[in-house]
Amino acid sequence: MHFIRDDTIRRLHEEPLYRLDHVSHRYPDGTQALRDVSLGLYRGDRVALVGRNGSGKTTLVRLLAGLLPCGEGEIRCRGQVLQGELSPQQRARVGVLFQDPDDQLFCNTLNDDVAFGPLNLGLGEDEVERRVVRCLQQVGLLALRYKPAHHLSYGQKKRAAFAAIMAMEPEVLILDEPTANLDPRQEQVFKELLSDYQGTLLVIDHDLLFLYDLCQRAVVMSKGEVHHDYSFAELVSQPAYLREHGLDFTFRFSCCGGHHHSHSNGDGQRHSHHLPSHDHGDGRQHTPPAAVQTPLLELQHYSFRYPDGTLGLDDVNLAVHRGDRLALVGENGAGKSTLAACLLGLQRGEGYFFFDGQLVPNRGRPGELWRRVGIVFQNAADQLFNPSCREEVAFGPQRLGLRGAELQRRVEESLTRVRLEGFADKVPLNMSGGERKRLAIAAALAMEPEVLILDEPTAGLDPHGEELLLGILGELDLTTVLISHDLFFIGELSERTVVMHQGAIIRDYRTTHFLTDEHLHSINGLDYSYKMECGTRILALQNGSIGA
Amino acid sequence: MEIHLSWVQALGGTLAVALPLALALFLLRRFVRAGRRDGESDWTVSAVDDHGHGSSSFHRWDARCKLIGLLLFAFAAAALSSLALALAALAISLAAALACRIPMRGALRRLLAMSGFLLMLLLVIPFTAASRPGETLLYFPGLPGLPFHVGGLLLALTIVCKASAVALLMEPLFATAPLTVTLAACARLGVPESLGRMVLLCHRYIFVFLHEMSRMYRSMRVRGFVPATDLATANAVGNFLGMLFVRSFERTGRVYEAMLCRGYRGTFPSSATFTATASDYAKTFCWVMLGAALITLDLLRLLPW
Repeated sequence: MHFIRDDTIRRLHEEPLYRLDHVSHRYPDGTQALRDVSLGLYRGDRVALVGRNGSGKTTLVRLLAGLLPCGEGEIRCRGQVLQGELSPQQRARVGVLFQDPDDQLFCNTLNDDVAFGPLNLGLGEDEVERRVVRCLQQVGLLALRYKPAHHLSYGQKKRAAFAAIMAMEPEVLILDEPTANLDPRQEQVFKELLSDYQGTLLVIDHDLLFLYDLCQRAVVMSKGEVHHDYSFAELVSQPAYLREHGLDFTFRFSCCGGHHHSHSNGDGQRHSHHLPSHDHGDGRQHTPPAAVQTPLLELQHYSFRYPDGTLGLDDVNLAVHRGDRLALVGENGAGKSTLAACLLGLQRGEGYFFFDGQLVPNRGRPGELWRRVGIVFQNAADQLFNPSCREEVAFGPQRLGLRGAELQRRVEESLTRVRLEGFADKVPLNMSGGERKRLAIAAALAMEPEVLILDEPTAGLDPHGEELLLGILGELDLTTVLISHDLFFIGELSERTVVMHQGAIIRDYRTTHFLTDEHLHSINGLDYSYKMECGTRILALQNGSIGA
Repeated sequence: MEIHLSWVQALGGTLAVALPLALALFLLRRFVRAGRRDGESDWTVSAVDDHGHGSSSFHRWDARCKLIGLLLFAFAAAALSSLALALAALAISLAAALACRIPMRGALRRLLAMSGFLLMLLLVIPFTAASRPGETLLYFPGLPGLPFHVGGLLLALTIVCKASAVALLMEPLFATAPLTVTLAACARLGVPESLGRMVLLCHRYIFVFLHEMSRMYRSMRVRGFVPATDLATANAVGNFLGMLFVRSFERTGRVYEAMLCRGYRGTFPSSATFTATASDYAKTFCWVMLGAALITLDLLRLLPW
């Protein structure tokens, strides 16, 4: 263990809201999750709880929330030892926002979900009503009060779950990866909600840029122990500490400092829609320009509507050439994933879709598209259903008819490419988030696709996992379509950026131009500048620290 | 009475029965699936109470009285043995479903889901029903040992009508109030609360489950999975279902913990209040009387079939 500075002088005189004294926890399977943890949470504390996967963060949170019995040691709340089954009033002091909002919205309507906690506390109907209205209003969902959760978008569900917690007016608010899978606008909404919260805040997140302005204190966990407990500024200003705990995100500063790399060697005008080829032929499709290479993927006047009538894509014109490295950006619900589904042939709309010059029919089977276009979905768990990594990677090539030595070669090569050598017999379900993501990439690469679509590849990864992924993706020599909100990854992995808004393409230009585009915020509300600013400030801190 | 049909009569008779049935099924299928794209799997499920906040007389009816009235009528319809009365029950249920003033797509979808089973009954019962004295038996050419019982056909049609009547009645019964209110009403009528909680959680998580399932199936499709009747498909589907089960099982643990964090102690709090008026009692009385009338007529056997 390194030093622990249980900091300021005021705390010498203050009784902590929660105190953990020499707490250890061992799971029934023998895993030692926590070892001799001593920690105080004070009123108004804003703590970032960070550390590698498996470092004991979640166990600590479950102990604080009373979801696990305290085996060894002692947990005190306002000086009282917490023992046995907690009462609803005791539980209400700690609000936990879990990662997946669907776990937390278990009632039939938002109203019932938000009222659930206050009703369990035995509050009167008027008070429950007041809290429901206030909390839903706070998160901007009052108009959807009687809607069931499955009618909401992911960002709305996340806010609804937050409202359900806040309705209990907790003294301590614990958030587990609050911004995972949210776009910058939704992230900003969350940041504002959390800034308004007056109680004690404990946030588990890998995104130190998000935590930078939010938290003043950082508790770093490693192998079940509290390794550091100091101010957040101290944590981020010491690259050595960050590296030690897999939190070193300084590899991003090549982006955030404004030194964008551009791999583009073209003139940035390769989008056929803006070329003279926009002339229409006998049908409604464009006539191909003679001098331009046939795009590998091309959509012309392509629109898609979901069965419920929602417009998914609106007159999209897009050409992706062989070797292109394209980034798709836009707010949640802008149509990025719908576009990816259309490129895969999973969704078919109206218009013209050409793959390597061949028209893909809008009806019937999408032909051999699956052999040539691969995808890594946002949630890697959706992609992994086999009992071992070997079977997982072999699944696609087997469908291609490969057997024996060739199949074996593809499996081994793909696992090696994603740095998962020796994982062939492991169970995907038991692997970490980063390993699963890499396994999903291996499963796609084993099919040797001509185009690889990556849907939010960095979602839920810690900085170490991100750095590893960046290396893997950087080595890929194939046409890629990257769907991401991560500005750094976009800058590093793409030459061209397509911005989507409400199902339509509103920008299609070089990534270097995208990274300096100041007008995007006014169009689709995406503000990437905040994180850049945080990154610059952290870099300044680190430079100061190194200089000193 | 035994009638030996000629080829023309047999073909004509079969077409006369099969064509309208096939047409009805085709139209039903087309209507239910309107808006869905060719080749696209439909994973959507409508919530039971999507239209629970309407203004029809069924929406205004006290949920407890509605449950009693409509369930008693449904039991009465299910107990009928006369085809004419089963048709009357079907007509009443159809009128009730229309009176709810909610889109019929949900009810028709339910009927479509039942149609395969009901068609099988229509096909099998006429050939397998027990012979009764005086019954008309039709002999198809080439099938001398397998008579077609007209009584069996009437029995099968009665079952189809009764099943459809009860299925249609589910709309006014469950779709005209929020599910929480209907379940709270069930609890007031003595149904165990744990059963209601299970229904509520199932109803909430069926959407999450289907969404998860569709995402996993989609990831199989993009890697070339096409279901077939072979061992590889059985293996892939087994892994798929196994993983789905593991994920769902893990989710139940997380949901339970989320409930505990919000003060759950074994009961779902409910703020539903019920006040039955004279109009509610009158509606219940009418439905109970309708059911009783059907049963009485059925027992008296006044109708020829």
